[in-house]
Amino acid sequence: MPKRRKTPWLWLALLGLLLPAELAAQGRSITGRVVDGATMQPISNASVSVVGAPVANAALTDAQGRFTLTVPEGQVRLSVQALGYVRMEVEITPGQSQFEFALQPDVFRLEELVVTGQATTIDRRSATTSIAYVAGDDVKRVTSPTILNAMAGKLTGVSLQTNSGAPGGGIQMQIRGTNTLLGGFDPLFVVDGVIYSNVSIPGGRGFANQAANAQMEADAVNRIADLNPADIASIEVLKGAAASSIYGSKAANGVVVIRTVRGVAGAPQFNITQRIGISTPLRNYESRRWTREEALEWFDEDVVNYWFTEENPNPYYDNAAKVYGQRKPSYETIVDVRGGTESTRYYASGTVSREEGIERNTGAGRQSLRVNLDQEFGSKVDLSLSSAYNRSVNDRGWNNNCNNYACHGYALAYLPSFIDISRRNPDGTYIDPRQFTIVKSNPLQLAELGVNHEETNRFTGGFNLGWNALQTDRQSLRFVAGGGVDVFEQANEVWTPNELYFEQSEVFPGEAIQSGGRSLYHNWNVNAIHTLDGEGWSAMTSAGLQYEDRRLTTSMIRTQDLLPGQRNVNRGTQTSVTEELEHERTIALYLSEQLRLFDSRLLLQTGFRAERSSVNGSTDRYFVYPNASVSYRFMDLLGEGSEVKLRVAYGETGNQPLFGQKFTTLATPKIGGRRGLAVATDAGFEDIEPERLKEVEVGIDGIVLDNRLTWELTGFVRNTTNLLLERVPAPSTGFSSVPFNGGKIRNSGVEFALGVTPVRSADMTWVSRVAFTHYVGKVVDLAGQPAFFPAGSGFGGLGQTRIEEGKSITQIVGYTFTPDGGRSASMTQLGDATPDFRVGFVNDLSYRNWNFAAVLDWQQGGNVVNLTRFLQDANATSPDWATPEGQRRFLAASRVITEPYVEDATFVKLREVSVLYDVPVSVTQSIGLGLRHLRLGLTGRNLFMWTRYSGLDPEVANFGATAVRHPLDITPYPPSRSIYFNISVGF
Amino acid sequence: MTTIAMLRIDSPRARRTRIGALLAGALLLGACDMDIANTNAPTIDDLVDSPTRDILATAATGIFARAFNDVGTEIQFYAIYGREGYNLDGNDPRDVDEQVAGPQNAAARSGAIWIGQYNAIRHINTYLAALPNATGLSEAEVRASMGFAKTLKAWHFARLAIRTGELGIPIDVDRPISEEPAPFVSFADALEYVSDLLDEARDDLVAAGGAAFPFPVAPGFDDFDTPARFLQFNRALAAKVLVYRATFNDCSACWAQAATALSESFITDAGLPGSLSLGVYYGYTGLADEFSNPITEPLSGNQLWVHSSIVTGVQRRGDGSPDLRFTRKVMDSGRVHTYKELTGTHKPVLYNNPSNRAEPNPAAWVPWITNEELLLLRAEIRWHTGDKAGAISDIDLIRQHAGGLDPTSLTPASSDDEFIDELLYNRLYSLMWSQGVRWIDARRYDRLDTLPIDRPGDQIFTNMLVPAAECAARGHDVPCTPLTAQSN
Repeated sequence: MPKRRKTPWLWLALLGLLLPAELAAQGRSITGRVVDGATMQPISNASVSVVGAPVANAALTDAQGRFTLTVPEGQVRLSVQALGYVRMEVEITPGQSQFEFALQPDVFRLEELVVTGQATTIDRRSATTSIAYVAGDDVKRVTSPTILNAMAGKLTGVSLQTNSGAPGGGIQMQIRGTNTLLGGFDPLFVVDGVIYSNVSIPGGRGFANQAANAQMEADAVNRIADLNPADIASIEVLKGAAASSIYGSKAANGVVVIRTVRGVAGAPQFNITQRIGISTPLRNYESRRWTREEALEWFDEDVVNYWFTEENPNPYYDNAAKVYGQRKPSYETIVDVRGGTESTRYYASGTVSREEGIERNTGAGRQSLRVNLDQEFGSKVDLSLSSAYNRSVNDRGWNNNCNNYACHGYALAYLPSFIDISRRNPDGTYIDPRQFTIVKSNPLQLAELGVNHEETNRFTGGFNLGWNALQTDRQSLRFVAGGGVDVFEQANEVWTPNELYFEQSEVFPGEAIQSGGRSLYHNWNVNAIHTLDGEGWSAMTSAGLQYEDRRLTTSMIRTQDLLPGQRNVNRGTQTSVTEELEHERTIALYLSEQLRLFDSRLLLQTGFRAERSSVNGSTDRYFVYPNASVSYRFMDLLGEGSEVKLRVAYGETGNQPLFGQKFTTLATPKIGGRRGLAVATDAGFEDIEPERLKEVEVGIDGIVLDNRLTWELTGFVRNTTNLLLERVPAPSTGFSSVPFNGGKIRNSGVEFALGVTPVRSADMTWVSRVAFTHYVGKVVDLAGQPAFFPAGSGFGGLGQTRIEEGKSITQIVGYTFTPDGGRSASMTQLGDATPDFRVGFVNDLSYRNWNFAAVLDWQQGGNVVNLTRFLQDANATSPDWATPEGQRRFLAASRVITEPYVEDATFVKLREVSVLYDVPVSVTQSIGLGLRHLRLGLTGRNLFMWTRYSGLDPEVANFGATAVRHPLDITPYPPSRSIYFNISVGF
Repeated sequence: MTTIAMLRIDSPRARRTRIGALLAGALLLGACDMDIANTNAPTIDDLVDSPTRDILATAATGIFARAFNDVGTEIQFYAIYGREGYNLDGNDPRDVDEQVAGPQNAAARSGAIWIGQYNAIRHINTYLAALPNATGLSEAEVRASMGFAKTLKAWHFARLAIRTGELGIPIDVDRPISEEPAPFVSFADALEYVSDLLDEARDDLVAAGGAAFPFPVAPGFDDFDTPARFLQFNRALAAKVLVYRATFNDCSACWAQAATALSESFITDAGLPGSLSLGVYYGYTGLADEFSNPITEPLSGNQLWVHSSIVTGVQRRGDGSPDLRFTRKVMDSGRVHTYKELTGTHKPVLYNNPSNRAEPNPAAWVPWITNEELLLLRAEIRWHTGDKAGAISDIDLIRQHAGGLDPTSLTPASSDDEFIDELLYNRLYSLMWSQGVRWIDARRYDRLDTLPIDRPGDQIFTNMLVPAAECAARGHDVPCTPLTAQSN
C-alpha cells in the first residue's frame, strides 16, 4: 500500500488558495491504477483529478482501472472518486509518478447525493445539515407492508408509530418530536419530485362498531402504503429546518424525499424475485381460566351448568387463537428490467404482492407497475420521466375500539374462557353469546360475515426536463422544469349484515357504508441553476418558482336498518350522507446560494423561500422562510485520510393552517322540512397564518480509521411559535371557539449515528451501524389558554394526553389512588409518550457468498396506556385477575383510576433478519440460460420482542393519526411475525 | 450579489434566457387564483356580501330554527328551580345536587344555556346587517323582515335578562369577535331595551303594510304568517315583557303600557274554551335531523316528575274531581320513584301522545305565547291598574274554561296577597312545564320563600349565574358579577 504523508490542514488550505488557476502547459504525468480495496478488482470509470482544478481536466480509468493524468510540478493533492466507493484524497510528492489507489466501498453511503433544493443536490459528506439516508437495498431486503415499516431502527431522529398489527399499513412518522398541537402533523413526502399524498381516509368501520370517535378510531391506512418498496432507490429524510426550509409551510414536520430506481446503460438486465412466507402471531390475547365457583360469582347458574359439565369439568377454550388463527401463505413477485444506451435508459417493474393477516378474512395486497425513462437529447437537453400505477387492496378486520362488542379483542376481553365461540348451532351458525353474557357479538361470526374492504387505485407520474444552456470551463447555466401528478381514488365498503348478533340488538339492525375519497395533487416548478468554478472554490446559485395544488374530496353514505340479506346503501331506511372537500394552492419562489471554499472544505449554504397560499387568511401575503448553514471539514485531523466536519445550521419552516380555518361557516338547521342558514358557534379566523418553526442545529461528523469508522453527532433546538390554537371567546359573542395563532412549543434533542466496519477483508465484511435518538418536547407558552385535551387525546379519564403550559407535550394524565383507596380529585401526570431514548442496531455481515443482516430496535422508557387490560380487569378475564395485583387493578378499573394502566413501553424488537446466499458464478454459468445471478434467502420481520409490557405490543396507537399521539392499546389487531423464503434470479 | 454580477458579463443568450424565465415567473405568480372558497358549508360572507332574496329567506328559516335553542333545557331547569318538578333519572347527580341543594357552579349547570341565545342573536344581527344590501326585496318586504327579526332578537334578550336577573346581561354584542366583550347592563335597563326593540319592530311591521313575508314561517306560526298578524304576536310579547318590568323592576308606568300592548295583541274572549290555545308555538316536528320535543318521555321513564305540592295543591271542581288542567297535564305513574331522597309519583304528560298519554310524542308543540296566557296577563294588569272587577272576571274565565272550576271567591275588596295567590295558582296550572312560570312568578312577587324545600340544606335560587367562560373572557375570577365590577 503506497504511503501517504500527513500534512497539517492549515498549510493545505493555504496551498489550495495558492494553486494557479490554469495548469501550466508543461507539468508531469502521473499514471496508475484504481482498484477495489477489498477485492483488489480494477474499477473502471473512476475519476482522478487534482483537487481544486476544473472538473473537466479529470482523467477516467479504463476497464483495467488504469489512468494517466497530467498534473503540475511539485506537490499535488489528487482526488479519486468512483460510484459506490468512498472518495479518496492523496498527497503526491514531487518524486512520485506512479500510484495505485485502493478505494473502499461506500458502505456508509457518504458519497450519495442528497437534495438541497428543488433541483440541486450535494454529496452527503459535504452536507451542512443532518440528513438521514436509507438506500433502496436496505428497504427492499425484507418484505414490509410499507416503506415506513422498513425504516424502523435505521435512522436517527425519526419515530414511527403503527396503529395496530393489521396488514397493509397504518403507520405514522414523526421527525424530531411533536412540532404542532392542532395543525397538520404529517411530514411532506416527495417521490421523484412529485408531492405524494399520505392522507388517511377512514373507512367507516368506526361507525359500524360504534366507536366513540368513529372517524379517528377507524384504524385507517395512510396512503404511503401505495408506494412499492421494490421500486425505491433511496430515501432521504430532511430532518432539520435548514434542510427542509426549501419546502416552506408544508415542511415543519420534516420532508421525506424518495427516489425510485432508474435505468442504467447497458444490455437489458432482468430480475425476478419471488418471495413466499407466512405470518404467525407475535403475541396474542390471553384469558384467565375459571373454576366453577368463580364462574358462579359472575354468571347465572344455568350458564355455568351449560359449560361446566361432567365430561368437561374444567372448560378452557383459547378463543383468541381461533379468531387470529388464519395461516395463509403470503407472497410477493417482483419482475423488473433495466437497461439502455448512453442516451436512453429505462427501468420497468411490475410487482404483485399479497400479505395475509393472522385474523380470519384479513389481508392486504398490492399490484404495481412502474416505468422510468431517462432520455438525453444531445448534450444539452435531458429528460427523465417517472410513472407508476398502483392498486392496493386491504381487508382490515374488526379491531380497536367499539361500543357494541363488535371488535374481536373487545369481545374477547368480556368473554370468559369457558365459553367456546367456535361451537355451532344445529343450523350451522355460530353460537349466540347473548344467551350467556352481555357480549353481543361472536367474533367468528363477524369475521365470517362482516365486510371491511378498501381498494385504492393510484397513478403517480412526473417529469424533469433539463437544459444545459451554458457550459464552459468555468461556469454552467442550467434550467430545469419539472413537475408531476399524484392522483388516487379510494373506495371503502363496510357491511355488518342483519344476521350478526350485535346488529340484531340494535334499534336499526344492519349497517352498510360506502365511503371513500378522490385525491389530486399536482406540482410544477421551473428552476435556474448557475455554477461558477474558481481556484479552490465554487459557487452555485439557484432560483425558481413553484406551484402546488392539493385537492381531496371525501364522502360517505351510511345506511342502517337494512332489508335482511341486503348490502346496498339504498336498501335501508336510516341513511345519512356526508361530503367534504379540501383544496389548497401554493405559489412560491426561492433563491439559494451554495458556496464551496478552500477546496470544498468550507461549505456555505443560504437561501430563502417566499410563498403564498390559499389557506392563509391573507392569500396575497408572502411568508418568507430563510435558512443558512455552514460546515467545515478538517482533513487528516484524526489520522491520515480522516475527516472531521463541524456544522452549524439555522432554518425556518412553517405549518399551514388547516383548510377552512379562516372561514366562519353557517350551520344548516332544518325545520318544517326546510333548510335554513344560521351562524354556527365555531368562528373562523380571517387573519390566520401558518405556524413557524425555527431551529438551530449543530453537529460534528467524522470519518476516521481509513473509512472504517464514521459518526454523526447532532444536537438541535427548535421552537414552534404562532401555533394554531383555539380559544374560547366570551359566550356573549355567540361563538364557542375561534382559532388563533399564538403560543410556543419547544423540542430539543441529540442524535448520534455511528458506523463501524470491524472486519474488512477479501472474504468477510462486517458493517455495523448504531442510530441513537433522544429528544424532549415542552409546551412553553399557551398564550393564556387553559390546559386542554388535543384531538385524539384518548378516552376521558383513561390515560389522555393533555397540553399544559410548562409540561411535556406528550404527557399522559390520569387519576391515581388516594391513600384510602378512592380516586384522586383531579388528573395528574402519570407518564410520557416520548421515550428516554431509542437506539437502532443494524448489522450486515458478508462472508464469501453469504450475507447475514439483522436490525434490532431498542426503545428505553416512554409509556403506553393499556386499556385492553382495563377491559379485561373490569370483566375478570385478565390472566392474573385473581392475584393481589390483579385485584388491585380490578378496584382501579371499577373506579376509573388510570394509574395501574400506564405501563412502561420499553422494548427491544428484532425488526429484520435476513440470510442470503448468492449461488457461485460457476454454478450459475453451468445452469446457463443467460443466468447472471441466483440468490436464495430467508428473511423475517418482527421475529422477536423482549418487553415487560403486559399487553400485545407497546407500540400500538388507537388514535395514531393525530398530532400529539401516544401509544394506546385498546384491543388492537395483534402483532405478527413473518418469515419469507426468497429466490431472486437475474438474466 | 454575486449572481447578478456574474450574469451581467454573460453572453446575451444567457441574458435572454434569464429574462424569459423571469417573465414566465411573473405570469405564473400573477395569474393564479389563490382564493379558494370553502364549499363544504355556506360561509358568513355568502350571507353578508351578496344577500339575495333566496339567501335571506333561508337565513330567516335559520332565525326560526335558532329560536328553539335551549327551549327544553330552560323549561327543565326552571321547573327544578321553581319546584314544578325534578329530574330523577340518576344519570347525572348535578340534577339533584347542584340544581336543588347547591352550591351553584358557574362552570356547570348554573352557567349553562347562555351561548344558545347569544348565537341566535349574532345570527339575527348578521341578518339585519345584510337586509339593507338585499337584492330582490321591496321596501315593504325589507321592513317586514326587520320587524320579524327584531321581535325575535328582543325575545332572546328577554329570556337572557330573566335568567340572570340582577346580575344583568351584555346587550351591545353586535361587534367583531376581536373587540372587547360588550359591557353588562342592569336587569331594568336590559328589559327596557327589550321593550324599545319590540316597539321598533312594531313600527317596522306597521310600515310593511299589506306585504307578505318574503320567507315561509316555521311550524308553530301557522296563524301568524303575515306582518299584520305577526304584529299581534309582537304586541303579546311586548305586554308580557312590560308586566315583567312592572313587577321585577318596579316600573309603575309599565302597567298602562302593558294594557295598551295587550289590546293590540291577539287576545280574545270569543270562542272559549277552544280559543284558549290560539297563539304561537315552538313547532317541533320530531322528524329526523329536525327538532324533537325534549320534555317528553314514556310513563315508565325516570327523568321527568311533577312536584308533590302541585298534586296536593290542586283545587277541586264542583264534583270533587281535580282541576281539568291538572287532569290533562299530570298523570299518576303508579309507582314511587326515589333518587337521593327526592321522590316522584306523578309525571308531566302534557307533551305526550294525547290518545295514549303513557307514550311520548316527539312532535308535541311547546307553547310560546297563547291566548290563555294573555287572558291571565290581562287579569294581572287590570288588578294593578284599578279594574279589580275586570281582573276577577278574567280569572273566572280561565277557571271556568281552562280548569272547569267554579268561579273564585275573590272580590274587589280582597287583599293584594289574596289576589296574587289566586292569580299565581291559575298561572301555574295553566302554564306549568312550559316556561318556568312558578319560579319566575315567585321571583317577581317576592315569594321565593313559599316554594317547597324537600330536604334539609336544599335551596331556592334567585337567578342563574354568569357562565364561567364569560367571566374568564373578561379576566374575572369565577363566579363573577361583571355589572358591579364595571361600576367600580
